[in-house]
Amino acid sequence: MKNRIVPYTFIAPAMLLLIVFGILPIAVALLVSFTDMNLAGLGNWSRIQFIGADNYTALFADPDFWQALGNTALFAVVGVPSVIALSLAIALALNRSQGRFFRALRSFYFVPAITAIVAVALVWGYLYNTQFGLFNYLLSLVGLPPVPWLSDPTVVKFSVGLVAVWRGLGLNVIIFLAALQGVPKEYLEAAAIDGASGLRRIFSIVLPLLRFAIFFVTITTVIAWLQFFDEPFVLTKGGPLGSSTSIALFLYQKGFSSSQFGYASAGSVVLVAIIATITIVQLRLRRSDVDH
Amino acid sequence: MKRMRWLALGTAALTAATLAGCSSSAPADGGAAAKELTVWVMGDSSAHFDALVKPFEDKTGIDVKTVAIPWDSVDQKFTTAVASGDGPDVLQIGLSKLRTYADSGALLTLDDAALSGHENLTASNFIDGAAGDATAIGGKVVSVPWVSDTRVLFYRSDILQAAGITAPPTTWDELRADAKTLAGRGDGSYGYYIPQWDSALPVIMTWDQGGDIVDSQGKIDFDTPAFGNAVDLYTGLYADKSVPTNSDFDQTQGFITGSTPMLVSGPYLAAAISQSAPELAGKWNVTTVPSGAKDTSLLAGSNLGVWGSTKNKDGALQLLDYLSQPDVQVSWYQSDGQLPTVKAALTDSALTSDPMVSVYTKQLASSRLLPLVPNWDGETGKALLDSLNSIVLTGANRDDALKTLFTTTAGTPAN
Repeated sequence: MKNRIVPYTFIAPAMLLLIVFGILPIAVALLVSFTDMNLAGLGNWSRIQFIGADNYTALFADPDFWQALGNTALFAVVGVPSVIALSLAIALALNRSQGRFFRALRSFYFVPAITAIVAVALVWGYLYNTQFGLFNYLLSLVGLPPVPWLSDPTVVKFSVGLVAVWRGLGLNVIIFLAALQGVPKEYLEAAAIDGASGLRRIFSIVLPLLRFAIFFVTITTVIAWLQFFDEPFVLTKGGPLGSSTSIALFLYQKGFSSSQFGYASAGSVVLVAIIATITIVQLRLRRSDVDH
Repeated sequence: MKRMRWLALGTAALTAATLAGCSSSAPADGGAAAKELTVWVMGDSSAHFDALVKPFEDKTGIDVKTVAIPWDSVDQKFTTAVASGDGPDVLQIGLSKLRTYADSGALLTLDDAALSGHENLTASNFIDGAAGDATAIGGKVVSVPWVSDTRVLFYRSDILQAAGITAPPTTWDELRADAKTLAGRGDGSYGYYIPQWDSALPVIMTWDQGGDIVDSQGKIDFDTPAFGNAVDLYTGLYADKSVPTNSDFDQTQGFITGSTPMLVSGPYLAAAISQSAPELAGKWNVTTVPSGAKDTSLLAGSNLGVWGSTKNKDGALQLLDYLSQPDVQVSWYQSDGQLPTVKAALTDSALTSDPMVSVYTKQLASSRLLPLVPNWDGETGKALLDSLNSIVLTGANRDDALKTLFTTTAGTPAN
C-alpha cells in the first residue's frame, strides 16, 4: 500500500513542471483567445471582454497570417528533409573512422548548435550583406552580379532557412552518431563477406536499424521548423514586407509588439492544433510499422 | 524502501518550494521606499544617468536606482511590469509608445494639481507641441518631456560640389533632381537614402506638401492630395534609381563612403559619422529639411512618466522637476548627446556655439509629433511602410497598395 505512492512521487515533479509550464499556458491561451485582451486589459482585468470567436474570424481573414503560415509551410517542407538528409550523411561519413581527425570534426559540426544565436546572426548578417558581404564579394570575383540575400522577398526565405539548417545539423548529427554505435558490427561483416557493397550495406542494414533514430529526429525537427523563430527574428525581423515572417514570429509581433494578446493567443492555439495534428499523424504512421 | 519514500517526498517538497518562490512578491517596506526611486532609462548603459542624478541624490538623500532597458526589449519589459503591477517609480517613454502606455492605465496622471509646486514642469517651459495638452491622451496628461529629437538633411558637401551642386537642396523637388544627378556618378552610387524602416519620412514629406495625415475629426486619414504628392516623391526617388533598394544598406557606411551623399536622419547619425570617420570633418554638414509648402520636420524623443502605484510619488515628482532644470538638461546633452526639451536649455551657449546643433534647434522650432495613435510602430506606421515599400520594391500597383493603406488605417484615433 505504502509503496504504491512511491512511483507517483517520483514522477510528480516532472508532471508538475509539465502542467505548470506546458498545459496551463495552453489552457490560458485558449481562454484568452476568446477575449479582446490588450495592454489596457492586462493592467485592469475589468476592461477585458469576451468577444467569442471574433479573433479567429479576424485571424483567418488576415493576409499577414496566411503569409506567415505559407512561409512556415515552405520552411518546413524545404528545411526538414534538408536537415535530416544532411545530418544523416554527415553522421555516416563521420562514423567511418574513430581517428583523432574525425573526432575533432564531430565537435566542429556541433559548434553551430551551441553558438549564441545573436553571434550567429551578426556573422551571417555580414556574410549576406548586399554591399560589403563576403558572399557577394566571392560572386564578384567570378564576375557574377550581387545577390540581394536578405532584401529580395524570395531569396530571403532561403537565406534565412540556410542559417537554420546549418544551426540544426549539429544536434541531429550527434543523435545519429550515437544510434550508429548501436548497429552490430557482425551484421555489417556478414554482409561484407556475402559481397554487399558499401552503399548496399548502408541502405539494407544501417538505415533500417536507424529507423527509430530517424523517426525521433523527424518528429523533433518538424516541430522545431513549425516553431521557427530565432533566425528571421535576429536576421531580418521578418522582412522585407513580411516575406520571412514565420508563424511564431507573427505571433510574437502581434502579442508583444502590438500587445494584442487575445489575437495572438488565437494564433497560438491554431499553431498548437497544427503541430498536434502533424505529430499525431506521424505517431500513427509509426505504429503501423513493424518493429525489428 | 522507507528511505526511498522520504527521498521522493523530499524531492516533491523541494519542487513545490521552488515554484512557490517564483510567485512571492517583493516585500512592501514603506519606510525604505520613501528614500528610494527606481528609474528605467532606455539604452544600454545607466552610467551617464547615474552621474546626472548624483547631485539630486546628495541634496534629497533619495537613492536613485537606474535600470538601463535596451530599446529592443522595452515593449516586453513594460508589458511584464503592467501584468505584474510591479513597475519602476519613474520611466522613460518613447513618444511613439506614449499612447499605448497611457492606455494601459499604469501611469500617474500629471495634471496641474499633481504638478503644483514643481514650476520646472510647467508646460510653457518646454518646446511647443511637446508638453501639456499636446501629449495628452484622451485629455489626460501622463508624462512630461525629457529629451527631444528631430530630423535634418545630412549632405556631403564635397560630393555635391564635385557634381556641380553648390548648395544643398532647399525644396523636395530640388532634392529629387539633385539626387538624380548624384546617382549618375556611376555604378554603386546613389543620390539619396531612404531607410526602409523609417515610417516618419513619408509623414514628414506629407507635412511638407502642406498636408496632414489626421483629419479634422482627429482620425487618421491618408486619402488626401498632399499625401498623394508625398507618395509621388517617395516612389519617384526609387523610379529615378536614386536610392538603394537593398534592405540591409548601412546608412552610416553609405554616407561615409559617399554612396548615398544625402539623407534625412537624426542627430544620432552625426555622432556615428564623427566617431567612425573623423577624417570626414568639414566634408559634410546638416541643414533643415527641404520644404515644399512647409518645412516641418519630425519632433521625436522621450518623455518621463510616473508609475501609478509608486510608493514615492513626491520623490518621483521631485526627480522630474530636477531633470527639467535647464542646467541639468544641458549637462545631459553634454554627457549623453541628447537634445533638451526645455526652451531655456536650448538657447544655452553650450548648444548654440555648435553650428550643427543650431541647425537642430532651428529645426526643432519647426517640427511636430507623429499622431499619437494606439500603435504607430506596429500598425499605422507599419501599414504605411508596407504599402509604400510594396510599390517601390515589388512593383505592386500604386492604387491597390494605397487603397489597402486607406482601408486598414481609416478611423484610427489620433488624439
